[in-house]
Amino acid sequence: MQPILIAIASLMALGALAQTHGKTPWGDPDLQGSWSNATTTPLERPAKYAGREFLTKEEMAAQNKQTAVATDKRDTPGTPEDVNGAYNGFWWERGWSDGRTSLIYDPPDGRIPPMTPQGKERKAEQARRNQTNEGGELGAGPFNGPEDVELYTRCIIRAALPRVPTGYDNNYEIVQTPGYVAILQEQMHETRVIPLDGRPHLASDVRQWLGDSRGHWEGNTLVVETTNFSDQASFEGSTKNMRLVERWTRAADDRLDYRFTVEDPATWTRPWSAAIAWTKTGNLYEYACHEDNYGLYGILAGARAQEKAAVRK
Amino acid sequence: MGSWFGVSLVLAVLPVLAQTPAYRAPRLAGTDHPNLDGLWQALTEANWDIQAHAAQPGPPEFGALYAEPAGPGIVEGNEIPYQPWALAKKKENFEKRLTRVNTDGVRLEPLDPEAKCYMPGVPRANYMPFPFQIIQGDKKIIMAYEFASASRLIRLDKAEPAPVESYMGWSNGRWDGDTLVVDVTGFNEKTWFDRAGNFHSEALHVVERWTPAGPDVLQYEAQIEDPKVFTRPWKLSFPLYRRLDKNAQFLEFKCVPFSEELVYGHLRKKTGK
Repeated sequence: MQPILIAIASLMALGALAQTHGKTPWGDPDLQGSWSNATTTPLERPAKYAGREFLTKEEMAAQNKQTAVATDKRDTPGTPEDVNGAYNGFWWERGWSDGRTSLIYDPPDGRIPPMTPQGKERKAEQARRNQTNEGGELGAGPFNGPEDVELYTRCIIRAALPRVPTGYDNNYEIVQTPGYVAILQEQMHETRVIPLDGRPHLASDVRQWLGDSRGHWEGNTLVVETTNFSDQASFEGSTKNMRLVERWTRAADDRLDYRFTVEDPATWTRPWSAAIAWTKTGNLYEYACHEDNYGLYGILAGARAQEKAAVRK
Repeated sequence: MGSWFGVSLVLAVLPVLAQTPAYRAPRLAGTDHPNLDGLWQALTEANWDIQAHAAQPGPPEFGALYAEPAGPGIVEGNEIPYQPWALAKKKENFEKRLTRVNTDGVRLEPLDPEAKCYMPGVPRANYMPFPFQIIQGDKKIIMAYEFASASRLIRLDKAEPAPVESYMGWSNGRWDGDTLVVDVTGFNEKTWFDRAGNFHSEALHVVERWTPAGPDVLQYEAQIEDPKVFTRPWKLSFPLYRRLDKNAQFLEFKCVPFSEELVYGHLRKKTGK
């Protein structure tokens, strides 16, 4: 009797060990740590890879080589081209190919689904505004005031949610506590505080740059639904009524599997989804941006100086 | 009546003064440490002036709207031990808080960093009139502040020296019994303690002590050390209260767009000419 009991007890201990691996002390799946979602795999599948989800080994090696060379090239020192391209391998943090041809996996063609007529109309209007520079977010000038410059240059947000990788600072810190998950985004140093207690969303007229997130666990996966977005920020042409669902699952000690699905019937003809690996990274640092925004100051001061010079002529 | 009031006042103040609080906070599940989680907010007038002050008028065109509330101050002993030059600088800060001055050879800007929506620094972030959320993990703690979307990452697992200067500093945390002690270094010189112009240099060193004093109260204390500005270390302290309102939630206060007219207004194209 006794040996069997001991055997059962040790089996249970082993089972408990297996279960506590990757769990927080209070028993939730443990996603905590510093993560980077950097990758050169594009959001949408390039035409040349149509019909294929994965790169060949050779294609992947060639793409990574191209990344290594392109992030570290210099133009002739002292030329404007060299200054424009002053970011070299030290600054870039582009990551590497993850072996797939696109981050989007649904629809299966790896492309953002066609826009609805409304969505197309808004996109055309935005393109027109960018060209004539009435609040031209793409920064074509003449920069009458800060509103004419894009949100990132103004240091308001790096980008709307969901976050897809960019050139550098693709870093996130996840800290969990019973009832909450916090995700600190290195750019723009804001924390997404995500309640897990099933409370309702904010009133629909309360809009935030990063929306309003609610989370829950589905097995080992953290599922976060975000609504209440602002109409001042847009993800790939979305409206403020976009609904975002994100999923984080621990795939390995040094990797989280991250997936998002966006739906916005006023923009796209169907919902679409992408997967991005979050890989373990080092310390996060403070991305102070607005506080030392000489860029925006220079853009506006430069535009006024150009106007003065034009008047003199 | 008067003596009864006096007694209850003493009783109310006692737990705050006690070195070893009788209160034992619930543990963070699965750990031996108190759970400091929650949405917290200070109830002080220290953001206007950390020292005792009488009420002050605001800009007259807004009536009573932006007048400054009186406050008893949060500085222990109410004295900030400035070096003589620094006291003069504090006064200048206040006088020029909304005047465009050129301090860096490039930009013309008013001095007040809160008006410009700069990240508020430490300890000020903890007594601004905005809530902030503590999310306590087992290896790190995030303190998320509504004002300017500032965040702090407090490392409990490994203390490292500050790698670079920053607005919110570099925070290493450890437990001293039920008190979370956070050693903060690596500051720049660009934040103030309040709207009165109280300031520090990049040599600032803050040691914070966060102690649960009741289910909905954290007692907060910060020791301030900056040999370039002050003649000795000094302390400030105040309680933090849990936000108990039913719908309390951490919300965004991204104030950059609110500050742009003040920061860039003079660079705006003049219209109608």
